[in-house]
Amino acid sequence: MLFRFKPEIIYIIAAATGIIILFFNIFPIINTFYWTDSETLIKTLFDREVLSSIWLSIKCASITTIIAFLLGIPLAYYLARHEFRLKTLIESLIDIPLVIPHTVAGICLLTVLSPRSIVGRFLEQNHIETLGTEIGIIIAMLFVSMPLLIDAAKDAFKWVPPRIENVSRSLGANQVQTFLGITFVLSWRGILSGMIITWARSISEFGAVIILAYHPMIAPTLIYERFTTYGMKYAIPANIILIIISIIIFIVLRLVSLGGKEKHDSRS
Amino acid sequence: MIHVHNLDIKLGIFEIKNINLQIAKGEFLVLLGPSAAGKSVIIESIAGLIPIIHGKIIVNGKDVTYLKPEKRNISICYQDYNLFPHMKVRDNICYGLRFKKDKHHAKYAKNFKTLIKLLELEEILERLPLNLSGGEQQRVSLARGLIGNPDVLLLDEPLSSLDPNIKWTIQEELKNIHQTMHTTIIMVTHDFTEANYLADKVALVHDGQVVQQGTIENIFKHPQSIFAAQFTGFKNIFRLSKDEELKSFGLKQPAYIGIRPENIYIRHQPLTAYYQYRGKINSLKNNGIYMEIELITTDTKNSKRSYISYLTLNRFFELNLEKDMPIHFGFDKKDLIVIRP
Repeated sequence: MLFRFKPEIIYIIAAATGIIILFFNIFPIINTFYWTDSETLIKTLFDREVLSSIWLSIKCASITTIIAFLLGIPLAYYLARHEFRLKTLIESLIDIPLVIPHTVAGICLLTVLSPRSIVGRFLEQNHIETLGTEIGIIIAMLFVSMPLLIDAAKDAFKWVPPRIENVSRSLGANQVQTFLGITFVLSWRGILSGMIITWARSISEFGAVIILAYHPMIAPTLIYERFTTYGMKYAIPANIILIIISIIIFIVLRLVSLGGKEKHDSRS
Repeated sequence: MIHVHNLDIKLGIFEIKNINLQIAKGEFLVLLGPSAAGKSVIIESIAGLIPIIHGKIIVNGKDVTYLKPEKRNISICYQDYNLFPHMKVRDNICYGLRFKKDKHHAKYAKNFKTLIKLLELEEILERLPLNLSGGEQQRVSLARGLIGNPDVLLLDEPLSSLDPNIKWTIQEELKNIHQTMHTTIIMVTHDFTEANYLADKVALVHDGQVVQQGTIENIFKHPQSIFAAQFTGFKNIFRLSKDEELKSFGLKQPAYIGIRPENIYIRHQPLTAYYQYRGKINSLKNNGIYMEIELITTDTKNSKRSYISYLTLNRFFELNLEKDMPIHFGFDKKDLIVIRP
């Protein structure tokens, strides 16, 4: 009975390619574990250099996500609600960092932050050091990940019908009350998954970061350094720890963003 | 008293020109017109949701033209309900009360009770909108719009996406509510029967303009334009220009005449109507409730015209009509309208 209906050809292809994709994604990650032993792994867990680099990565990525949220949400909302002549141009400008190779992006940022530019000079005069500091790391992360948050938030806001906001306004709520009480509540899940992607993108950033700040070392820089100076054997334990921590945080955030999905859905 | 004075609105290439409306306190005005005539734009601009180019909107003596939507005390309900999906029905209904400056709790509590009763919402107060039927959602939306005693309630095609039987019920409830609460209501619809049932006054909207205003009876009996005549069901509209024809209708200058299909009599023998013709049946169409009959004049002294006539199915079978059958038909002078271009 189970095979009474012949499966459709595209589904067969999807199943086959799906298996390839999953293998391609997961096998390299799992395979890393065979290159080390538990003793080294535990030793690395207490390696202060490794721990502080991972902590720095998490900290900078989190700050980046918060800044991207604060800067990006108002613009995303405006773009979701308005049509105007230069809109496509502005949207493309926002997405530009996504298409620039990351080392190139890092060099572009460097030209701005170096004391030879107006911005760099201004920062220097006010004793704000960017190169080789956490600020530099955050600037690099922000540059490459902000478009993801803006795009996700924009899509989330578009799902909320403008008419529902009109009703709220007509019932006496001002624009801010309507935004916070209705629009944001109905789009927060989409925004949250945008924040997760932004965070993930930030924590995985390497190319732009090493150009602005090789030190202090974020986890990818540390692993890169260990790999180039000592080889695989030394790079892998830190590698594994970073993988585990990233996946745990990713899963936790995903669960948070999926939680309560059945309760109500603005898209019904 | 609501007074809309010389309102001009421009949305992209769509223009709305010189809208003038007067609605007495407690009156039910229906903006009637085909879709894309600009009816919704007019009420959204009254609510302050669409900017206007110029004009004035005065509500109970207060100029609200440049007030933000939340400052106007004008609430709006749409065709697609737009309930807040994350709030229970009770919280949806009471949403507007949290922004009220005056704390007349007793007054709003009374409104709440009245609306719950009239709209039969008691049972669903603790439910979320996702689990409600279309009719229930529209009832909640109406209660939400009415609870705070708005100066005007705007309804944008509130019955259009409901099943026919639910539509009748809610239409009746709407009428009850209007009679109980005396709220001033402006409703947009393209449906003549809704206007007929609910409206104290009708404004006919066409191509971004109000083409005629008055009681429903006035518009139904005396349409002042070809559009108004067609929209209110005059299926037979002819332009007269020949002297002979004009004379037979008592006219001096070229004009249009109109006659409703239900006012055309069909007989096998010559009849006593004021205007009568000889003709034959060109086509028959059964519409379920009535028969649509296309007649063509065959007498030579008049120019050849085709008329549409409606007969009840009973009457149709009584007359035993068939295609191409020669017949007599006619209509009375009192049923004729004349529209001067």
